[in-house]
This record gives sequence, C-alpha cells and structure tokens, in this order.
Amino acid sequence: MKAFSIFWASSRPQLGPFEQQVLEEMWTHGSATVRELLESGRIRQAYTTVMTTADRLYKKGLLDRVAEGRAFRYTPRLSAEELQRTVAVEGIQQLLGSGDAASHPLSYLVEALSVHDATLLDELQLLVERKRKELQDARERKVREQR
Amino acid sequence: MYALRGIAVSLTFFVLFYCLLSTLVAGAWRALRLLRATDRTLVTLLFALRVFPFAASVLLTFVFVVPSFQLLEPHSVDEGMGAMPLALGLCALLLIAWGCYRVITAQTETSRVVARWLEGAHPLHVDGTSQTVAPALTFQSRREAPPLTLVGVCKSKVLVSESTVSLLTGDELHIALKHELEHMRSRDNLKKLFFRFCPFPGMRQLESAWSQAAELSADDAAVSNPDDAVDLAAALVKLSRLVPVESAPVCTVGFVTGSISARVSRLLAWSEARKAKQNGIRFWHVAPPLIVATIGAFVTYGPALSLTHEVTEWLVR
Repeated sequence: MKAFSIFWASSRPQLGPFEQQVLEEMWTHGSATVRELLESGRIRQAYTTVMTTADRLYKKGLLDRVAEGRAFRYTPRLSAEELQRTVAVEGIQQLLGSGDAASHPLSYLVEALSVHDATLLDELQLLVERKRKELQDARERKVREQR
Repeated sequence: MYALRGIAVSLTFFVLFYCLLSTLVAGAWRALRLLRATDRTLVTLLFALRVFPFAASVLLTFVFVVPSFQLLEPHSVDEGMGAMPLALGLCALLLIAWGCYRVITAQTETSRVVARWLEGAHPLHVDGTSQTVAPALTFQSRREAPPLTLVGVCKSKVLVSESTVSLLTGDELHIALKHELEHMRSRDNLKKLFFRFCPFPGMRQLESAWSQAAELSADDAAVSNPDDAVDLAAALVKLSRLVPVESAPVCTVGFVTGSISARVSRLLAWSEARKAKQNGIRFWHVAPPLIVATIGAFVTYGPALSLTHEVTEWLVR
C-alpha cells in the first residue's frame, strides 16, 4: 500500500492506517465477516470499530458485502495487485494531465524512472559484488584448508 | 459445389474450435501458476498452451470434420449452403490471411533492421570466447544494435555490440553468449513468429509470461556453477545500463529482457540442488495422456463422425 500512497492521496479518498490493515486482512482471508477478522487475532480493536471501518471501505467501493445472518460477509472488490495497478494508472494519468505542456510531466516521469532504475541497478551491482567476494573467500578458505 | 461446401464446413469448424479453445486458454492459463512447476517445465507448458488452440483446431478439423463430410455427405445431393458456414468460412480465411500478413511483416521488419545492424559487423573474437561458444554465429556489431541479441529464425545469429565487448569481462561475455545460444537451441524466435501467426485477444499476457519463463529457463541452462551464475548476473546488471537506441523487432531475443531484479536475485541464489531439479517435460510425462486420448479417439471415432455430420447438417441449413 505504501508504494502507491502518494497517488492514492491525490486521486481517491485517502486510507487511514486501520483501514489499510482491515483491507490487507480481507485480502489475506479472501472474504470474511467482522467476527472472523477478530478471531484471526491480528486485529485488536473493538467489534464496532472494525464494523464501522469495514462499512467505510464498502462505501469507498473497496469491499463488496452480502448479508449473512445478522452480519455482513465482506469481500475485496479488487485484489492487491489490481488495486495497485488502478491507482498507479490513475496517478500517472493525473500526472500527465497536470502540466500546461504535455511533454513536461512525461519528462518528469522518465527522469524519475531513470533515477529509480539507476538506484536499483546500483543495488543489484552491490549484491553481485558481495556474492562474488563470498565465492572468492570460500575458494581461498578451501585452498588454505587443503594446505 | 460439393467440394466448396466441404471446404466451407471445414473452415467453419476450424474457426469455431479456434475461437472456443483460444477463449478457454486466454481465461484459464493463469491456473498453471498453481502447479509449482520448474521454469523449464513452465516454459514448455506455456508454449504448449499458447499453440494448443491452433494445433487442436487443425487436428480436430482434419481428424473429424473432413472425414465425416467425405464419408457421410452424399455426393449426389446438390444442397445449397446456408449463410452461416459461408460467413464463418470467410472469417477463417480472414484469420489465416491476417496471421500470414503478421508473419510476413514481422519477418520483413526484422530482416530490414538486422541488415542495418549487420552493416560493418565482423565475427567476434575475444579471448577465445567465440571459439568456445559458437564460432560462426557471433558477430560484433558497430551500429546501433542492442547490447546482445539473438536475431533471425532460420539462420540465427548472435549480435554483440562494441560497447558490450568493452564493458564485459571474458567470462561474463562467454556466459551471456551461452544464454543467447540457449534461446537459439530452443528456437525461441520461431516460437515468437508462430505466436504472430495465431493472434487472439487476451493472449498477450500469456506470451509475456512465456517470454519471462524463457529468459529464466535460458539462464538456468547456461549456468553450471556458482561462478557462472554470478558472471551472468554481473553481465545482466552491466548491460541493463546500456539504453537500446530503438525497439527490437519481433524475431529477436534480447539479453536484457524481463524483470532484471528477479533474474539477478535468482542467479545469486543459484545452487547445484536447484539445477538438478530443473528437469523439463520428458516423453513419459506426456505419453500416458496421449495414449489414453488416442485410444479414446479410436473407440469413439464412429459415433464422433456421425455427431460431427449432424452438426454439419445443422450448420449448413
């Protein structure tokens, strides 16, 4: 969720930390009633708090619900991946439509991606060098042991 | 009229089978992820699934539809042809023509671009690398070719740019070339061309999953010890920094493809045990279902021909 919280803040009603937690629990369960969420033990809030939060997520269009006895069974409307994609696409569309000249936001995006790519590649390079050193150390240790 | 009707009916069945099977595959291929298969098995299964609608449609048409028409349709009867077989037969012809057009344009575009990349190229000679890997197949390109790429379908070649040769060490270049030659051995460019021949909406994601699995499979096949794995990971990271000047045509397989971080992480976690597990699909894995299907087809062939003929009659009227 954190990865797209910037876009989320601008394009849709922002999710509070507890709303995020409830949504993540729903993704874990697939579908659940408020009681089932509480029984899993990972949510330590009052029944009514969880119920209100689930109701708010339903009104925000993030959960579906069907009546089950005197309670509701909630189901996430989108998977985590689908939600991430939707929010990212909306965010990028908003970014591209934000400038006077269409090319400016696009160039910011390319710049951000290039910086991100370079950082990622630096990290990967570091991992490769570390692994290479590990292998070399292991080889030297083996030679020393043989002597 | 009889022959024309036979052709129209066969094409009608072909297009119906093709659309039905393609829709099923496009909707259900993700279930393969539940199998927890190795990458080598996965790449075979994904390819098999992608070509299944076309191959099965052709097979069903020639095994059931054509014989049922020839055996059960009386030659003497001069029946007319309904609008549906005519329309669907036309759709089938258009589908085949569209596939041929896509293949021809992909081949033409690839040949044009590769000819440009090959201008001034010469066989690669770096510290004996070309001798040990594939002497006649590797070329060092001077032009704006991608860093390292396999080109062509019939006479495949590996193109290595000058910057790649200067950037990689001998071992890194050697293992990177082995990776590309694994794609050549698997005839991945031919497979990509076949995908172009049988288009269907919703298949793009299956093709991209196949492409990613093919990269992982080529990585696995090229690497035989931890040092190779680290060299291949290092080559990947280095070449990822070289931005390709233009997008690659269809019949090429670039070295820097798919998720780089996933590939590097996987290579760094390489182990002998995992290599041992990477067995692909063997004949005895597919033999039992094939035998069962063949026996089933033999046993039910007569009734199946009658049923096909009944459906044909219904379609023609």
